Amino acid sequence: MKRSNVLSTVILWAIGILFLIPVYWVLASSLKGDLEITRFPPTFFPETLVWQNYPDIWDKLKISVTFTNSLLVAVPTVTLTVLFSSMAGYAFSKKRFLGRDAMFSGLIATMIVPPTVLLLPLYFIITKLGMFDSLLGLILPFSVTVFAIFFTKQYIDDIPDEMLEAAKIDGSGDFRTFTQIVVPLIRPAITALVIIDFVQNWNSFTMPLVLLQSEANYTLPLKLAVMLQNSDNIPWSKILAANVMSLLPALAVFLVLQKQFVNGLMAGAVKG
Amino acid sequence: MKLVRSKLGDLNAYLFLLPSIVVLGLFLIYPIIWSVIVSFKDIKPIALKTAGLFEIPGSFVGFDNYAAALHNPLFFKAVFNTAYFGVLFIPLSVFGSVFLAMLVNQKLKGVNFVRSIFFIPYIISIVSGSLIFMFLFNGDKGLVNALLQKLGLTGPNWLANAVWAMPVIVLMSCWRNIGYYMIIYLSGLQNIPKDLYEVADVEGATKIQKFRYITWPLLSRISLVVMILLLIHSLNVFQEIYIMTGGGPGDSTITVPFLIYNRAFKYYEFGPAAAMSYLLFIFVVGITIIQRKLVERRLG
Repeated sequence: MKRSNVLSTVILWAIGILFLIPVYWVLASSLKGDLEITRFPPTFFPETLVWQNYPDIWDKLKISVTFTNSLLVAVPTVTLTVLFSSMAGYAFSKKRFLGRDAMFSGLIATMIVPPTVLLLPLYFIITKLGMFDSLLGLILPFSVTVFAIFFTKQYIDDIPDEMLEAAKIDGSGDFRTFTQIVVPLIRPAITALVIIDFVQNWNSFTMPLVLLQSEANYTLPLKLAVMLQNSDNIPWSKILAANVMSLLPALAVFLVLQKQFVNGLMAGAVKG
Repeated sequence: MKLVRSKLGDLNAYLFLLPSIVVLGLFLIYPIIWSVIVSFKDIKPIALKTAGLFEIPGSFVGFDNYAAALHNPLFFKAVFNTAYFGVLFIPLSVFGSVFLAMLVNQKLKGVNFVRSIFFIPYIISIVSGSLIFMFLFNGDKGLVNALLQKLGLTGPNWLANAVWAMPVIVLMSCWRNIGYYMIIYLSGLQNIPKDLYEVADVEGATKIQKFRYITWPLLSRISLVVMILLLIHSLNVFQEIYIMTGGGPGDSTITVPFLIYNRAFKYYEFGPAAAMSYLLFIFVVGITIIQRKLVERRLG
């Protein structure tokens, strides 16, 4: 028993290190000098730490603008998604209305539609609504997701009906019940949803690629991709420095809230 | 009047649903309908520019777009490549994530810490992940080739090599996704009653038998969900191709979504692009139904 535990621990850590190598490598390489980065075989640890790579590429590519754009898209989208989807989740979970079950199963069925199918019509519809090449076009159309409705409904199902009826008898209106009772009770679900949705929006690439035209509106993943395609004059160390900066916010959100994230995901998986 | 009201149910429900109905109606349901119609039409890009929101110009051409897609050799190449990606990616991810889930489900030193490490790649965007792997597998300055050189081997220029480009892309996708599916399997493992294993211990079952007869069958519902998610993932491989290879070398990494993107946004062939995406959709629905049937039969 003891010996097999030691073996498992060794395997666990070996795979863990293997998973971390790409992350270590991008960090280490982003701190190498322009010449050191081209050397083969590469140095495992930078000879001198060139922190200057970071401010250099930040200024050169005007990443401050791109960074702001990414935040301007991700924060409102997540806020609206959480609000709108939990409202719908509440209606599906606790309300009786015509066509409820049919509507809900219809929505769940759309989850298998490959996003590629939607690419072309979304481009057309969003352009027709005058939101082409604007950040609004990346916010409003994606401010409700079926996944989020499904996710919040699962949790609202667990709230006892008696509790909501008691609130009603005490004279609480529907919207007050929702904001004062339902939302606080599903806080863990909302935290998990915020992280999942933030990471997804922060990392989104295909829709910005199709919908944004002027460089002043680019979000981070799009900027990285474009930078890579005209990379002849930018050394890899600086490309990787830009890459590290782009993944820091999502990573920070995850590391701070990871417990709620993992618990939320696990609970969601069991119920689903 | 009263009857109609009681039929409609709680009217406040519609208020709570209003934002979702507007957004999903306009940006999910209408697009699905839109692309069905367009897949049967011959649309000129210029006509589309002047059309209204709920107006779809062009003349009906029946199944011409579908026929054209099915006669396009590049489409078959793309279908083949997409299937190849799935054949490598799905089993590797399933076994990888089940294995890791069983590993982190034990009480080992630092298990929580390593569990977080497994999850970190999932937080990294596909664009960033692609960049990192391009650098790792770079032909003349990559870490992988440097390590191979230490072993006395010369590595190829991975992403510029028709044989190796797709496996590298699969490897990146596994690295990014295994941690996520591990969490899903972990929740499944924690729901398996402990006494089943105790009975097995009394009966003298080996580790492999316990996995074969207890763990794996009891995970089958979760496996169904995971496999459908992995399948949908495989049919949507676009960003990594766009960044890492651009479909090359020699069309060896063109996937169906990449081809659709190219048809639609490079050549403005909307009808054929929509037809191709519907063929993809029909395929997903078919496979999902078959998978569900198979699992239901096995579960009885």
